[in-house]
Amino acid sequence: MIPGMKIFRSKKLIVILVILGVVVMGAFLMPSSDKVDFNTQIKPILNKKCISCHGGVKKQGGFSVLFHEEALAATKSGKPAIIPGDPDGSEMIKRLLSKDPELRMPYKHESLNEEEIDLFKRWIKQGAKWGDHWAYLPVKEVEIPDVSDDWVKNDIDKFIYAKLEEKKMKPSAEADKATLLRRLSLDLIGLAPSDQVMRRYLNSKDNDKAYETLVDSLMASPRFGEKWASMWLDVARYADTKGYESDGGREVWKYRDWVIKAFNDDKPYNQFITDQIAGDFYVNPTDEQYIATAFHRNTMTNDEGGTNNEEFRVSAVLDRVNTTWEGLLSTTFACVQCHSHPYDPFKHDEFYKFMAYFNNTRDEDLQSEYPLLRQYDDSLQRKLSGLTSWLKQNAGQEKAAEVYKFLKTGQPSINSTTTDSLKNAVIGNNNIALFFKNNAQARIPAVDLKGVKQMIYRYSSNVPGGNMQLRMDNPNGPLIASWKVPSGDKYQNLEVEIKPQTGIHDVYLVYQNPGIKNKDQFTVYFDWFYFSDSFPGKAKPGYAENKAAFWTLLNSNPSSIPVMVENPANRQRKSYVFERGAWISKGKEVQVGVPKTLAYAMPKNAPKNRMGLAMWLTDSRNPLLSRTMVNRLWEQLFGTGIVETLEDMGTQGMSPTHKELLDHLSWQFMHQYKWSVKTLLKEMVMSAAYRQDSRLSEAVKEKDLFNHYYARGPRTRLSAEQLRDQHLMASGVLSTKMYGHGVMPWQPEGIWNSPYNGAKWENSKGEDQYRRAIYTYWKRSAPYPSMIAFDGAQRVVCSPRRIRTNTPLQALVTLNDEAYIEMARHFAKRMELEGGKDIGQKISKGYQWVMYKPIAAPKLRILDKLYLQAFNDYKKNPAKMGEILGAEDKDKNPEKAALVIVANAMLNLDEVVTKN
Amino acid sequence: MTRDELNAHRLVKEAKETELRSFTRRHFLKESAMGLGAIAMGSLLGSCNFGAKTNNPVLYDPAHPLLPKSPPYFGKAKSVIYLHMAGAPSQLELFDYKPELMKMDGQDCPPSLLAGKKFAFITGVPKMLGAQAQFAQHGQSRAWVSDNMPHFSTMVDEVSFLKAVSTDQFNHAPAQLLIHTGSARLGRPSIGSWATYGLGTENQNLPGYVVLTSGGSFPDAGKSIWGSGFLPSVYQGVQCRSEGDPVLFIKDPHGMSRDLRKASIDAINASNELEYANYNDPEILSRISQYEMAYRMQISAPEVMNINDEPAYIHEMYGTQPGKSSFANNVLLARKLVEKGVRFVQLFDWGWDAHGDGPNNSLNIGLKNKCRSTDKPITALLLDLKQRGLLDETLVVWGGEFGRTPMMENRNGIQNPYNGRDHHTEAFTMWMAGGGIKKGFTHGETDEIGYSALSGKVDPFDIQATILNQLGFNHEQFTYPFQGRPFRLTDVSGKVIQDIVA
Repeated sequence: MIPGMKIFRSKKLIVILVILGVVVMGAFLMPSSDKVDFNTQIKPILNKKCISCHGGVKKQGGFSVLFHEEALAATKSGKPAIIPGDPDGSEMIKRLLSKDPELRMPYKHESLNEEEIDLFKRWIKQGAKWGDHWAYLPVKEVEIPDVSDDWVKNDIDKFIYAKLEEKKMKPSAEADKATLLRRLSLDLIGLAPSDQVMRRYLNSKDNDKAYETLVDSLMASPRFGEKWASMWLDVARYADTKGYESDGGREVWKYRDWVIKAFNDDKPYNQFITDQIAGDFYVNPTDEQYIATAFHRNTMTNDEGGTNNEEFRVSAVLDRVNTTWEGLLSTTFACVQCHSHPYDPFKHDEFYKFMAYFNNTRDEDLQSEYPLLRQYDDSLQRKLSGLTSWLKQNAGQEKAAEVYKFLKTGQPSINSTTTDSLKNAVIGNNNIALFFKNNAQARIPAVDLKGVKQMIYRYSSNVPGGNMQLRMDNPNGPLIASWKVPSGDKYQNLEVEIKPQTGIHDVYLVYQNPGIKNKDQFTVYFDWFYFSDSFPGKAKPGYAENKAAFWTLLNSNPSSIPVMVENPANRQRKSYVFERGAWISKGKEVQVGVPKTLAYAMPKNAPKNRMGLAMWLTDSRNPLLSRTMVNRLWEQLFGTGIVETLEDMGTQGMSPTHKELLDHLSWQFMHQYKWSVKTLLKEMVMSAAYRQDSRLSEAVKEKDLFNHYYARGPRTRLSAEQLRDQHLMASGVLSTKMYGHGVMPWQPEGIWNSPYNGAKWENSKGEDQYRRAIYTYWKRSAPYPSMIAFDGAQRVVCSPRRIRTNTPLQALVTLNDEAYIEMARHFAKRMELEGGKDIGQKISKGYQWVMYKPIAAPKLRILDKLYLQAFNDYKKNPAKMGEILGAEDKDKNPEKAALVIVANAMLNLDEVVTKN
Repeated sequence: MTRDELNAHRLVKEAKETELRSFTRRHFLKESAMGLGAIAMGSLLGSCNFGAKTNNPVLYDPAHPLLPKSPPYFGKAKSVIYLHMAGAPSQLELFDYKPELMKMDGQDCPPSLLAGKKFAFITGVPKMLGAQAQFAQHGQSRAWVSDNMPHFSTMVDEVSFLKAVSTDQFNHAPAQLLIHTGSARLGRPSIGSWATYGLGTENQNLPGYVVLTSGGSFPDAGKSIWGSGFLPSVYQGVQCRSEGDPVLFIKDPHGMSRDLRKASIDAINASNELEYANYNDPEILSRISQYEMAYRMQISAPEVMNINDEPAYIHEMYGTQPGKSSFANNVLLARKLVEKGVRFVQLFDWGWDAHGDGPNNSLNIGLKNKCRSTDKPITALLLDLKQRGLLDETLVVWGGEFGRTPMMENRNGIQNPYNGRDHHTEAFTMWMAGGGIKKGFTHGETDEIGYSALSGKVDPFDIQATILNQLGFNHEQFTYPFQGRPFRLTDVSGKVIQDIVA
């Protein structure tokens, strides 16, 4: 940001005010009949001057200007404040003009100016028409401005050019090839291209064609998905830990890998969203579809003792609502949790209708993070396939699907933490699991016993000789099962037969063990209960081995990942409005639904569940989904969104600088590109607007310092990820290994210091030290420090936008962080070995690896001078040489040491840490 | 210098001067907007209602985010030292003297205290537990302090006690977050971030907001407790360490001399000046300044963080041992930092969670050890600030995230092996001193067993409102726009505790 700008702006403001003054005076002399536009002329005044007392939060005097019907409705006085067509008869105008300070509005504030009052009068005279905010209206096909200029390369440029013309600016010429190569490469794959791709482009003659080839090869690179996944993981608040106090580890990295693959495969964006919101709703979902739903399992889980699981389950559900709106729909919905939106057309209860979509998943803030998708290894997977096909043949599709779902997700089971009416029992540490002492009992409420012949349960018991009973309706009710509880030192799964019953009943667990003397001793620990039919196909050939296969699979301990699974039909939670947003004060019950303002985009056949929600989100009439993604991608390339507030396109967000362009691209994205992200990105990077030189001329500096109108190319500091990846690549140590567990590159001692949790940062070995930033293990309460310094998001909640800062702490990272010093060492070594004979050649070569162009002579002289000084320094102090070169370097000399100093400086140059 | 370099250098110098001129002017404009606009605005705005953006001055200037700014009102405190005893110290063993509870010692807890209540660990019917310490009255103010704090008891005439603080969070992390960020959930800026956002910092060579931890672990809520939330990340607390590098990455790499570092930053900046001459991008100017500041910070931070050169009487007074990581060292550092113009210093000392599930977590062993390691340094801090004339302008706050039950903890319904108390939200003690706070005063009172507040009940928002008040802010007007509305530290609540304001 620069000085001068604001002042310049205010000068402009003064000019505008003077002009307005003249216009207003004119208006008074001669009442204007110009059409008043609600959105641009009335709504801003309402938001600024009226709505805080007459809106979504307060409705003073029974008057609100949030919705049209409210604004025209009778107020407390019995009469409407606005009478369309009759400004003089409208109470609102009278109040604006009143001389009585008790009556005059805005109450106890400066009165509106004459121009504003005149606008209101004309607006009412013209019928007090309401207008919907642009972002809540469907995307329409836009007419492309008729521009013919040699500068224009595609339709994007016509919009850009037309706007520049309007603002009396000229676009810049194309940047040089080296700059373009680096810009494009950092943007599309987040680091430098392969040598072959680079050379082919730089050596080509036909610029346009070569550029397109470059775009295509970068998009085909597997590095592409890694770059774009970084962007998405901020939205998805992806982390490798659960958050809150103990912030223990969470195995959810397969979701990160899924996102990378999705971008690489160019999964259509509507599909990408559907899978993440409702992947578990497909018929027989694949593992990939389940894994996609981990998007909304990235919410935090609270393992702290004494926490209420339901409170934090609700908290996770609220977060799913907010993330869906903020990250996918550029709408700040969070305020509707407590009251109707103060500015935008969303009512209080609409938040909870929307929340109801997410309120029926099986997760219950458990330490175990159930439900988990179980991913079997190859041999177990074969067993599962065999079992499934046997079941299909011998018990039918439905039974096969039921067993498959149970073995894959452990659902629909009942968590022991939801038992109640405890006697000699506790939910251990208040939230972990059900613990029994002797003579214990607990209630499993409302179990549907229809067709139930057995209960499978997971438990552990350290004392033999216990008797367990299941009784129906009350602790002394009919006995439906009775058995001896085997002991063992581990959790195990067991089945017990149940006498057939009908209907829904409370089921009581009753436990007694004559061998136990200590009444305070805990003896049985339960994890979950699963009521079902007995294993099918009893009389069929193969029954025994398939039942055995079932148990082998159930007792195996495969890798797993938290996913979404819906509650079964007979265990649906009800949803309520929370009064003032507090989960404990339940108001009226609500059913699933989307806000009325946007309900037009709901397909007729959409089911009333998360799949229906996904259909609404991805319907081409949904005004927000495509606009939000187009805006997000644009920001990644151009540095600022077309709507700068990525998190808010509502009436309080910034206005779009190029609304027609945003709509044009959104339309194309849905209808022409069939939601292909790669096609959309290609359109953007092929534009002349993107390819411009980024030098800032004095004329443009005056007019558009922040590059809102794109009279020059983008120039922004690298993101935390781009910085690390680029530096690793320049040093020649970058590992291109993809996927897998998060890795732990070097970080200083003492960053992790977690209470109650022995978790340790253990430096990864070998190439895992040098993986791309996206694979760095992400602990929410203590994220990797150098990434946070460069504005990386903490990933606690959805971060729809990173705000770039420029601080001395960033300089300290790239100057001194041992990880960056090591990169400088490797970079220096590379220059030493491959750079050429003299120091000038070495520096030039190194510079070229990063910038793809020769270093300017004066810069080379500066670095040369630094080299000389360092060389002399090390010659005088040979002991220091060893330290700067590191223990691994056996053959030390002042030349090499000095080169490390130069390499470190080079990796700190403005152009190196900047995407230009 | 070559001609190119000279030319670039001149350009940058000119640009910086222009920038400074216009900033000063803009700054002035903003200040007055804040002063007048904010006053006009504050009264009409609840948390969710706010005028258009133009009415809401944002003090953030990306080019100079930390320049010192004056608060909209006169603030008696220029800086704050916040001493947080993480884990929640027991008020019943320190300041809240309850002879009646002593009489009930060992009896079953009356059902009236348990009905409808939820505790972190207590299950079933616990026993009452009398104070595990001896109490006496001290000073002219006759304040009760236990023998756990023999040194501090000599300072009671400097402080205002808040005896009836309450919270609605009974777990460490959310309760700590609530008291430091105004929300029990992650994602909001901490009070120190608000303070630096509003005031900038007086010393451009040091971070404006410094955090020091001791006790072997971070506070339960982790680093988000000093995070900047939705404020620009430049306002987040910078963790300084009394062991190892005082600030992350502050030390030059091994084998690089100071001269070389200087030469290397000079080279980087000289090259960046050329880059500026070519691209004219003001962001480059800002980068040049940040590298200069980084260099200065490299000198100042280790200097201020070095306690070796403090005189012997100071070490004796604080009980400090240079080179070790301890609460005492952190307290001395806090004084040094405040002296150097740092706005907000936060100390977290971990290990106060006296449940009674182990010796170190017991009232008779663990708590006494914690008191022993903090009593002397805290007393020294107050005395030292006073003798340097700094106490009047430095607000010192002491407290935990909640209090402890008058009942003895029985985890899962079974008596704990040592004497301990569970988390308790309804009443606990905090104190404030200096920075325009009344001396020798007590606000609030609890019932005869210290279970709940009888009068003068305050909550974390009131504490925050009071701290901001002492710094010169009206907490209802001090906002930042986020998610479509102006957020404030105190959200929708908070009242300045006028009773303790001098």
